[in-house]
Amino acid sequence: MGTLVNAENIRGVYYTEGKDVVAVNDVSIKIEEGEVLGLAGESGSGKTTLGSIISLIARPPLHVEEGTLEIDGQVQELGGHAKIPRTWRGAVVSMLPQGAMNSISPTKRIRQLVYDVMRSHESKISKEEALDRARERLTTLGLPARVLDAYPHQLSGGMKQRTVTIISTLLNPRLLVADEPTSALDVTSQKILIEMLLEMLEKRIMSGVIFVTHDLPVLRTAANRIAVMYQGKIVELGPTEIVVERPEHPYTQALMSSVLAPEPAYANTRIEGMSSFDRSLFDAPAVFH
Amino acid sequence: MSLRGLSPRFWVAAVLVAFVVLVGLIGPLIVSTNPDATVGGLYEEPRCCGPLILGADNEGQSVISNLVYGTRTSLIIGLVAGLIGTAIGLLVGLVAGYRGGWIDDVLSAIVNVGLAIPVLVIIILVSVSLPKRNLYTLALVIGFTAWFWVARAVRAQSSSIRTREHIDVAKLSGAGFWSILRRDVLPYLLSYVVMACILQISGAILFESTLSMLGLGASNTTSLGTMLYWAIQWGSVRTGAWWAFVPPTFMLTLIVFSLLLLQSSLNEVFNPRLRRGRAARKKAVKEGTELGTPIEAGDAGPVGTEGILESPVSAGRDR
Amino acid sequence: MALARYIGRKVAWTLVVFVVALLLNFLLPRLIPGNPVDTIVGQLAQGGGAGGEQLQQIHEQYMKEFGLDKPMWQQFFIYVGNVFQGDLGTSFAQYPASVNTLIAQALPWSIAIMLPAIIVGWIVGNLLGAVAAFKGGWLDRGAFIGSLFLSSVPPFALAIILLFLVAVKGGILPVGGAYSFGLTPEFSLAFFGDAITYWWLPFWSLVLVYIGGQAVGMRSMAIYELGSDYVNYNRGLGVKEGHTVRYIFRNAMLPQFTGLALSIAALITGGLITELVFSYPGLGSLLFAAIGQNDYPVISAITLLITIAVLIANLAADILTGFIDPRIRAVQSGER
Repeated sequence: MGTLVNAENIRGVYYTEGKDVVAVNDVSIKIEEGEVLGLAGESGSGKTTLGSIISLIARPPLHVEEGTLEIDGQVQELGGHAKIPRTWRGAVVSMLPQGAMNSISPTKRIRQLVYDVMRSHESKISKEEALDRARERLTTLGLPARVLDAYPHQLSGGMKQRTVTIISTLLNPRLLVADEPTSALDVTSQKILIEMLLEMLEKRIMSGVIFVTHDLPVLRTAANRIAVMYQGKIVELGPTEIVVERPEHPYTQALMSSVLAPEPAYANTRIEGMSSFDRSLFDAPAVFH
Repeated sequence: MSLRGLSPRFWVAAVLVAFVVLVGLIGPLIVSTNPDATVGGLYEEPRCCGPLILGADNEGQSVISNLVYGTRTSLIIGLVAGLIGTAIGLLVGLVAGYRGGWIDDVLSAIVNVGLAIPVLVIIILVSVSLPKRNLYTLALVIGFTAWFWVARAVRAQSSSIRTREHIDVAKLSGAGFWSILRRDVLPYLLSYVVMACILQISGAILFESTLSMLGLGASNTTSLGTMLYWAIQWGSVRTGAWWAFVPPTFMLTLIVFSLLLLQSSLNEVFNPRLRRGRAARKKAVKEGTELGTPIEAGDAGPVGTEGILESPVSAGRDR
Repeated sequence: MALARYIGRKVAWTLVVFVVALLLNFLLPRLIPGNPVDTIVGQLAQGGGAGGEQLQQIHEQYMKEFGLDKPMWQQFFIYVGNVFQGDLGTSFAQYPASVNTLIAQALPWSIAIMLPAIIVGWIVGNLLGAVAAFKGGWLDRGAFIGSLFLSSVPPFALAIILLFLVAVKGGILPVGGAYSFGLTPEFSLAFFGDAITYWWLPFWSLVLVYIGGQAVGMRSMAIYELGSDYVNYNRGLGVKEGHTVRYIFRNAMLPQFTGLALSIAALITGGLITELVFSYPGLGSLLFAAIGQNDYPVISAITLLITIAVLIANLAADILTGFIDPRIRAVQSGER
């Protein structure tokens, strides 16, 4: 197994009047072929921002100041006014949005979106062919082909999220960036979705997944490795078991203890948070200036 | 809401509105000419300095004097009718939305019928039936007729507030119906009500001028609408006596435009999503309590966003 | 099926409102203290337009027509019966002309300027608003301020200024009326060519205002849609902008249908006054004359016509929305 994606020196800044807010501060990350990389952190840690930069959908007020994305030896400059080819989106790197509820226009049938996605990348494809391919993909993954004829409001939450997952991967992207795909789902649907993602990886529909979430128990079942973000930096990166069981960084420890409270005794314990942590982080000039 | 959050558009609108109000308030004090006095000949041309600075109208009365008094009249009608309409709409909408049940059904049915019948039709029918029309009866008629859309919009909002937790808390603490309405529901609607009131005022001023031009205006007072009525009936446009019709036209346009501009700039303050460009960026950070996550912060929108976007933005012209 | 039920409900609702409107049209004039016919005939006498014998005739005619000796509910049914037979009564002022005749003379002129103006204004306004929202930048700013200004100018103000500048000062188009003196309305090319020169100015003064109103609304809706999740998702999937624009347009369109129906009353109001400014011989001028002469049957017929026009527009918008928005059908029928 080799390296699938190599993202280097990514710096993402929200340009605002008066002051700029650095959300992702010089982050480099690699994704191996066939792996699920979990990207964890609390809201505001920059994980979603990093996810949207890697899935090539950064737009104002977010500006990518620096960074390159290397996939299969092809290098794409991300920073400044770099022109990112439209066809990379969806075909090379694809996104799976948070809460698929509103991700499909309420007045369009699913098949319309499917057709539009396909013909945006293969201009000569006929409607029949596009729908046939989607139908085949749906049945392979155990979904009824008739969802194509549905409007989004006719699908349940879990079904909609699975449908969107399939639409996101219709073009066999190399990398799928999933942003909180399970947050809006009940536990059963979460499980089904994760199983489906793993099955798709196995079938080589895509070759790697970045799984952005604040939900550590979900990552535990889904991810091979976990990267923990805090204030725009990756503070810890390692195999799932190690990050979960023996976190090194104090922030990760705090994060873990806030999620996994196995004993009743912990219930009354106030999370100490950052007491042992280097205070200077709060003054990090890149973040608050 | 700090002053820095207000757009230049707001300040332009505020200055224009202030100017109009000044004309209506102070104008009659400065222009001492009686608007009903004959000071010149038929459509006498403007000449510098004095009551004829804007010429004379079809009865030889001073146009400038009629203009400032007319502005005052139009503003009074707008204010009285606008406040009445907003108050009724607010009350009906609050009660319907917060109470729910059969009261809501009945009130909503009334409101929907009222919305379906053109306001102008009702106003014409009522005005024609009135034995006497003066400034205040006109204002009352407009106020009591044009409140339906306010009621509907407020209802939508207050019924969404009803399901919020702080209402349960208030109920559990034993607060009464009116007290909850006043202290726990109304504050969330205030921004909305202010905007609705502005639209009501500008709408009422337009209605007044429309009625006056149709010949249903106040019989004993000069308003901007009655000025236009006389100007058109006595052929000032055709004869080129621009000083008779341009000033009231300009004033009416200024009033309505500045009020709508004020409303739309306030709407942008209360609904950040309607903005774009620099202002939007500024707001994104100011409101995002967390670092750069506008994408994640989609859940807890400010109260009021929903309802306003729900109703068509052109709500002000819905009559 | 679900759609049929939805439409059925809307039609039933429209009928309910229509009955309420009839009731208002019937009841309001009868709220005047005293006998309305006495009052009105008295005013006629003051005006000196008609002699004593003629007045007596009018009085009797009206007592009979209103059926004022009968109880109120019976009067209402007589009124409704007449309306449904298409009989709008007899004019006071132009006795013995029937209201139907007067309306029939005026209505075509009103339709001729209002209908094209509403349709053209709606289409152009929506296109302008959508383009402004998509393109952004100076185009957006210019179009927005321009539209906001146009939409907040009272319609008659624009009419007055256009009349003065183009017709009186410029002398480019005729000053007022609907056709040249000496001609009679007929279906001939010559008459049409003459009438259209009178038609341009009222049409333009209406259409500009409508364009402004629609553009402002559409721009806000489109900007709102541009920020929505599905636009972001489409972009992330590399969907061509041309395809996504259609999604946005369709969604932003929905409120615009309802918006058009809601604003149709304001549009008609503007149209009536515009007719007055141009002395255009439509319903607005007829209404004005009727108000001046207390010609109650004519006033009431015109208000009824306006109500019917607004109701039909609302119904049409509801039905259209039902066809376009799948969610409405679902909510109405509980399909899930």
